[in-house]
Amino acid sequence: MKKILKYVASAVALCAAIAMCGCGPSKPVLNVYMWSDYIDLDLVKEFEQKYDCKVVIDIFDSNEFMYSKLKAGGAGYDLIQPSSYMAKIMYEQKMIEKLDHSKLPSLAKINRAYLDNLAIDKKMEYSVPYMIGFTCIAYNKDKLGKIPDTWAVFGDSKLKGRMTMLNDMRETIGAALLFKGHSINTTDEKHLEEAKKQIIEWKRNLAKFDNEVYKVGIRSGEFQVVQGYSGDLFQVFAEAPELTWMCPKEGFTMCCDDWAIPVTARNKELAYKFIDFVMTPQNAARNIEFTCFTCPVDGAKEFVSEENRNHPGMFIADEMYKKGEIIQDLGADNAKYIKVWDEIKLAK
Amino acid sequence: MADDKSNFSARAGAKRFTEWLFTAPSLLWLAVFFVIPSLLVFAIAFKTADPAGGIGPGWTLDTFANVLRSDYVSVLWRTVWVSCAITAICLLLGIPVGYWIAQQREKYRYWLLLVIIIPLWTNFLIRIFAWRVLLHPDGFLRSALLKLGIISDDVFLLNNLGAVITVSVYTCLPFAILPIYAAAEKFNFSLIEAARDLGASRFKAFVSIFIPGIKRGIYTAIMVVFIPAMGSYAIPDLVGGVDGEMLGNKIAIRASANRNLPEAAALAALLSVIISVPVLLVFLKQKGVLKNVINIRRSSGDSTK
Repeated sequence: MKKILKYVASAVALCAAIAMCGCGPSKPVLNVYMWSDYIDLDLVKEFEQKYDCKVVIDIFDSNEFMYSKLKAGGAGYDLIQPSSYMAKIMYEQKMIEKLDHSKLPSLAKINRAYLDNLAIDKKMEYSVPYMIGFTCIAYNKDKLGKIPDTWAVFGDSKLKGRMTMLNDMRETIGAALLFKGHSINTTDEKHLEEAKKQIIEWKRNLAKFDNEVYKVGIRSGEFQVVQGYSGDLFQVFAEAPELTWMCPKEGFTMCCDDWAIPVTARNKELAYKFIDFVMTPQNAARNIEFTCFTCPVDGAKEFVSEENRNHPGMFIADEMYKKGEIIQDLGADNAKYIKVWDEIKLAK
Repeated sequence: MADDKSNFSARAGAKRFTEWLFTAPSLLWLAVFFVIPSLLVFAIAFKTADPAGGIGPGWTLDTFANVLRSDYVSVLWRTVWVSCAITAICLLLGIPVGYWIAQQREKYRYWLLLVIIIPLWTNFLIRIFAWRVLLHPDGFLRSALLKLGIISDDVFLLNNLGAVITVSVYTCLPFAILPIYAAAEKFNFSLIEAARDLGASRFKAFVSIFIPGIKRGIYTAIMVVFIPAMGSYAIPDLVGGVDGEMLGNKIAIRASANRNLPEAAALAALLSVIISVPVLLVFLKQKGVLKNVINIRRSSGDSTK
């Protein structure tokens, strides 16, 4: 319901923006291309008032889709929100700008633990980290009690047919690689072979590989253990006290969505202002509470409400950045993962 | 005389022109939204892939050769047999239902048809999620089956090919019943009486008189069920299990996560070729291909009334 309201609100905002453009002196327009439900729309309104402009938000649901739209010449966006691996590809292909830090004073407050340990673009040359999430395991503590923090749970045949892993080759092969003590970004075929055997073993106990149904399934009791994305799961937890979560001790994957400015942007000045505006601690705090994800800005904690200050999804602890690993693009070596994933899908 | 002739041909020319004028919008629609995109899909299948997700500059035959390798064949085989099973079950259920409705009094028929159509007013995805509730491992149905000893502890009703077939039959069945009913409605039931008078059993009369009599409806039902089943994506994704992947899911993964548009295009092209096989068979089965096209149009047109 909340989601629908948000859509309606953004649609109304969009229509209003178009209507406003139609009459009166034209204001500068900032075209943002981003993930859905990922920013507090009241904050966007405040930005519009402060800089006397219009912000038009357009939405995508996968990095690949966003990339192909920009690559095909879908210009006209001033600000985009790729995940870190995609930002790197786009920078290498000269699709996004090198950032001018003198226009972004807020960057001084970006969390060093994240940048030093995990970030792909450690110096924020072309991207600014906006929201960080991680992949974890959620389970039903009323039915299963406390489970040790390990990926080995998927080997438990007593839970056969009641567990799911993600239908995402990098996440799921990554889980097995971590379990076997390897990096999630390995390109060593021996490591991948080990991971493949491990997942085929786990697969016998899994109900399915899934990115969508697991959220409803863990809530309805159909599944008792699921691998899932932190933001998605924390939204489910808010209404399901019987559920809890763990981060496996072997390690886990993290991902970050960044702000970046396309080289084709028409209103770069306004794009810089927008990034700087949303990355101040006060404003970051509002977006954190809105999304349940972590915006890595030091000092944001002071501005969130009391009950959320220790929220594990909104404020990822610094040591998590040392244990977590970020998925990187492997270029031509991606084919190795695709091959292994195809073999896993076919194995009996 | 000569005046009459030229007058006539002028009138015929004008008539032809108006016919063209009326057909032009649908032809244009078909060309822009079907023919050109399909040709593009075939063309992209012969382009090279670039690892970042774009389409490379060169041309290649490798993608097509790759698509015919063994692990694709097993996904393809699964897609084909599951679609055939769905079609067969829909016919087995649809023919008796169509027969029964056609025999009801006219004022009841439309109510019965309405009952069949009403579930279609609910969104497709919501109906699939409703099945997930129905087949839930702790749900009524499985608990009852467990208590009665019909299934053992390790049998689940969801997340397997059985669930994919069940839910697909459920979603496709109305589309199978409608054309069968439309053909059965026009069927002359006194032919069955005649067969019975001549000594045929009730079953024999049904199989050798009724079924051949409604074969156009059956052909239409086959096409209307089999083609969408071959391309199904959402149902295997939502109720299928670890081994439930069909060709539609493979295409989606290649186009999005794997960033390999040419391979997705080659798979899609392969799918279109496979789908056109039963369509061609149905066309060739009857004498006049053109006549049959019109017949199918007519019977499916009837089904909507």
